Formats: sequence, structure tokens, C-alpha cells
Amino acid sequence: MTFENNFNIHSKEYIFIDNDILSNQREDIFKKIFKKNFDKNNNESLKNITITDLSTFEYFYKPIKEGSTVTLIDDSQYEIKLVNGICKNYEDENIEIRNFTNLDFKIFLNQDKNNLDDIVVDFNKMFLNSGIFFNIKSDTKLKIRLIHDTFDNFTIFQNNFIKFQKRCEVKLEDNFNLTNKSINNINYNINVEEGATIKHNIFQNFTNSNKLYLTSNTVCEKNSSYSQNTYNFSDGFVRNFHHVNLNGEFSNALLKGCFFLKDKNICSNKTNILHNAENCFSDQTYKGVLNDHSKASYYSNTFVSENAQKTEGYQLSKGILLTDNCSFFSKPELRIFADDVKCSHGSTIGPVDENALYYLRTRGISKSEAMKMIISSFIDEDLQNLDNNIADRISKNLSDYLTSLVND
Amino acid sequence: MIFLNINNLNVSIEGKQILNNFNITINQGEVHAIMGPNGCGKSTLANVLAGNEDYEVNSGKIIFKDEDLLDLNIEQRAQKGLFLAFQYPVEIPGVNITPFLHASINSKLKNEKKPELDNLSFAKLLRKNAEELDISSDMLKRSINTGFSGGEKKRYEILQMSILNPELTIFDETDSGLDVDALKIVTEGINKFKNPKKSYLIITHYQKLLDYIHPDHVHVMRNGKIVKSGDISLATEIEASGYQNF
Repeated sequence: MTFENNFNIHSKEYIFIDNDILSNQREDIFKKIFKKNFDKNNNESLKNITITDLSTFEYFYKPIKEGSTVTLIDDSQYEIKLVNGICKNYEDENIEIRNFTNLDFKIFLNQDKNNLDDIVVDFNKMFLNSGIFFNIKSDTKLKIRLIHDTFDNFTIFQNNFIKFQKRCEVKLEDNFNLTNKSINNINYNINVEEGATIKHNIFQNFTNSNKLYLTSNTVCEKNSSYSQNTYNFSDGFVRNFHHVNLNGEFSNALLKGCFFLKDKNICSNKTNILHNAENCFSDQTYKGVLNDHSKASYYSNTFVSENAQKTEGYQLSKGILLTDNCSFFSKPELRIFADDVKCSHGSTIGPVDENALYYLRTRGISKSEAMKMIISSFIDEDLQNLDNNIADRISKNLSDYLTSLVND
Repeated sequence: MIFLNINNLNVSIEGKQILNNFNITINQGEVHAIMGPNGCGKSTLANVLAGNEDYEVNSGKIIFKDEDLLDLNIEQRAQKGLFLAFQYPVEIPGVNITPFLHASINSKLKNEKKPELDNLSFAKLLRKNAEELDISSDMLKRSINTGFSGGEKKRYEILQMSILNPELTIFDETDSGLDVDALKIVTEGINKFKNPKKSYLIITHYQKLLDYIHPDHVHVMRNGKIVKSGDISLATEIEASGYQNF
């Protein structure tokens, strides 16, 4: 179905349809995209995708409330299952979770102040059909497991707002193990309030008929910490774009990712950290292993504003290319307007170290096993500080990936 | 049994001839030293024996334990009992020493159709051999050669040799980059695991190493071939007057 038909026929199915401001914005976006009124050559949000890829889909969505659950595993552990972007409304002394209603429009509009100049986010706004408001209350110490489930042929355009209140400590595990053919354009707006510490682990492991466009925009207030680790073992298309605004002094953000690609899979990544206050720390590190004809890109950006003195900001990307046919494009960028900073960026992409392979083989290790050892070592340091169950899960996924690709 | 016989070996890399009709025979239990100036082909010989695929063997034969070594790939040669102690051991961050060595010994045992070592038996063997080489248990928790000093790297090579228990060990300029004390520690380690059934091929520039490990035969190599063979006195002669007389 064409982009035009999708927009016109289904316009009544989107959320916040009664709001004139949003309706006008949707119209504007439609016109911009329809008339191709943007610089598509210099638009990082379109790396490895085209407008045709984005706009050619069969819009299909129904709000189904059955299946979504909130399970309290113990006093501090929750498992929350979202079905087609819908949650079960729930509140207790630790958390509040509910689906967006028309009354939440102000929240939606306020969070939209951050203009990301991103066509995928524009699509999210145009076709928005679901949204969830999470509120993690102050001074709590929680583990939350989020499971996303999408039905066959569904197109999810979801905008979630997560508010981590003051001084909470949360380990958020976000699971995208999608098995049905679907399109998932999910946008997170995350607010980390003063003194909160958040560890956000995102697992992406789904079949090849799925597409996931995951965007997050996080604001960190004073003394807060946001650490995001993305692990992508998917067969389908994945786009991970993650942005952080360090707005409060002594806040820090880590955006890290690992991806493991094969066949003709594509993974498009971007991280962007804005230092807007003094004494903040950031680290952006993405690593990837690519086989067959797979393709990946990674843009990283550190922006240090004039008043963000005593900033530390680091960027690194590493890639292993297992064939001559795969490719990994990496572009690190630093824009610094303060003078008392420590910043660096680096990128290394290449085949498996032949010397290391030779050394291991001279000790009787087969070529395939040696290859597995070297690739495993590539993310070994990233597994060191993870909880055992998460590290085990990644090791299992990695082992499956290695088994599928290495031949003697 | 022919233990090691290299016959008229010609080897090149990127079209450049390195070994020219190279010949040597090493019997079981013998210690041979090959000395030669830079660029004469010593390290090429070591790498060709280990199976390095960067080199092209143009002609010649290498028989090891009655089998054509050139028919075997790198790991098969190691499993058959050949061990190369590297001049510059490779750092491999993230690959832990202990599971790596465990996998190595088990691949060899599996090839020999012997029972593989379980975790406990391997840990005991590793600890015992590491103690003999004065290697701390902390070092065994680290990644292969990562952050090691030159001496530690060479000692770790000897530890690997002691675990894998090869019949032929090639020391490729093991003395390079070592100070006198480190050289002594490493050679003491080698001597600890010396055994009449094992053979050694020591590649070196200098006599110093041979003061600690006494070879049965010393060969001088120039332009890709052995130009003179003799006993330890040959090493003394080289030390006194260099390689220009050969």
C-alpha cells in the first residue's frame, strides 16, 4: 500500500487524532515526505534505508488488550508484557504503568520539544497508534523485565514515556524477541531525575521478517546515571538510534552496543550525547561482527556545549568483517565548544587478526574453534559487569551465532 | 622411524625465494641449533614447519614421524607433536589462558584417541607446571600474553610447551628481547622439561642461549640453506668472528 493511502485511509486509527496541533504536524510531515522536501543524501537517519523501505508497508493495527500482563515476581522485581504496544494498567507503591489516553497529550507534546530531525521519528508521529507511560517512583530499587510481543502483520508505531524519579535504582531489561512478521517503530522518551541510576539492557533477537526501528531520547538530571547496553542478534532489520542530553551536573551516560550480523541483515546505529552541564561523563562504544553480505553503520556524536566544562566524553567503534562482502561504515564525531575537556574517538574495523588465528592454531586449536575464541573475546570485556543471567543469555546467543557461521 | 627429515626444501613468500634447497635431519632426542645472520631464513624455516600459510613451498619434502608434514594443516601439525615457541608471542585480549590451554591439550589428546582431561585434572596439571616455572596463579587468570613483559611471554610459551608435551619443539629466537636474568629463567624452564625422547630445534643469533641449553649439533645458515654443521665449538667461532667467514 502506498504511503498516501496508509495515511489517508487509516488516519482515524491513530492516537491523539482529536488534537489539532498534532493533526497539523502530521499533515506537515506527510507533505514533507510526500514531496521529498528534505536532504536525503545528508540524512543520517536514512543510512541503510530508503524512504521507499520506510513508506511501503501495509498499515495494520488493532488495540488488543488481551495478553498484556504485569507480574510481580517479588517485592522488587516485575515482569511486564506488552502486546502490540498495549500494557495492562497497573500501579503500586513502586511503579505506575498505563496506556496513553487523550489526556496525556501534553506529556507527548512536551517530550516532543527535542527535534531529532529524524524521518523515522517523523513516521512514528504520523502513524502513532500506541504509547505507554511508565513512572518509576522515587527511592525505589527495582528490576524490571519488559517483553515486547507483536502479532503477525501488525505495524506498531509506539511512543513511550519513562520517568525515573529521584534516586531510584533500576535495572531495566528490554526484550524484543519478535517472532511474527511485523514492523515496530518504537520511540522512548526517558527522563532520569536527580540521583537516579538506571541500567537499561536491550536484547534484540528476532526473525528475518521483522523490522525494528528503536529510538530513545534520554534526559539526565543532576547526579544521575544512565547506562544502556544494546545486544542485537537479530535476523531482521534493526535501527538503533539513541540520544542523551546530560542536562544536570555530575550526570553520566553510557551508550554501548554489540551486534552480530549474517546473511543480508542490516543494522543501522547512531548514538548522540549532548553535554549541557559541567562535570559530566559519557562513553559511546559499539562493536559488531559481520558475516556474509550483512551491512552496518554507526554514527556517534559527542557535543560539548560552551558551559560544559570538565567534560569527559569518549567514543569507540570496533568491527570484525568475516567476509569480503560485508561492510561496516563508522563515523565518529566530536563537536566541542568548551575548553576544559577530555574527549576522544576511535574506530577499528577489519578482518579477524590473522596472527592471533595462526597462534591459536599452532596450539592445536582448529580454525573454527580459534575463530570462535577470537570473536568471543571481542565482547568478553562487555560481559564482565553484567548480572550472571544476562551474561549467560548473551553467551548462549553468541554461541548460536558462532555455530551458524564458522566452517572449517 | 624418520623423526624429522627436511629434503631440498624451497620456500618463497610473495615471489621472493627464502629457503634454497634446505636440508636437515633431526633424530629423536637430539638438540639442534641453527645460527645465522638476519634475513637468512631462520624464522621462515620455523614458520614453514609450523604450517604458516603465508609461505609457499615450491618444492621439497618434510617428513615428520614418517608422515609428510606438508599434507597437514597448522593444527594437525601441533596435534602430531610439533610446537613452535614464538619469537614474538601474539597478544590476544579476551582469550583467557586457562580455557585456551585446556582446549589445546584436549584437541591433542582427542587426536591421539586418548581420554580428554576434565577440568579438575587439567587444573592440577596446569598448577603443577606453572609452579615449576614460577608462574603465579594470578597470571593464569589473564588473557593470552596480554600485558605480559617480554620475559613473561617467553615463560608462558614454555608453560604451554610443558602442558602440550610435544615431541619436537622449535624455539624461534626465544632469547630475543630478554635480559640476562629473564634468559636464565626461561632456559632453566626449558631444561626442566627436557627429556631424551624429545627433540629441540633452537634458532638463535647468539651463543648466549646455547650456554644454557647445550645442543648436540650446531648449524650455520646463510641465504636460505645450511652452509656448515658442527658441534658447540661452531657457536664459539661465530661469537668470536661473526658470520662473514661462512
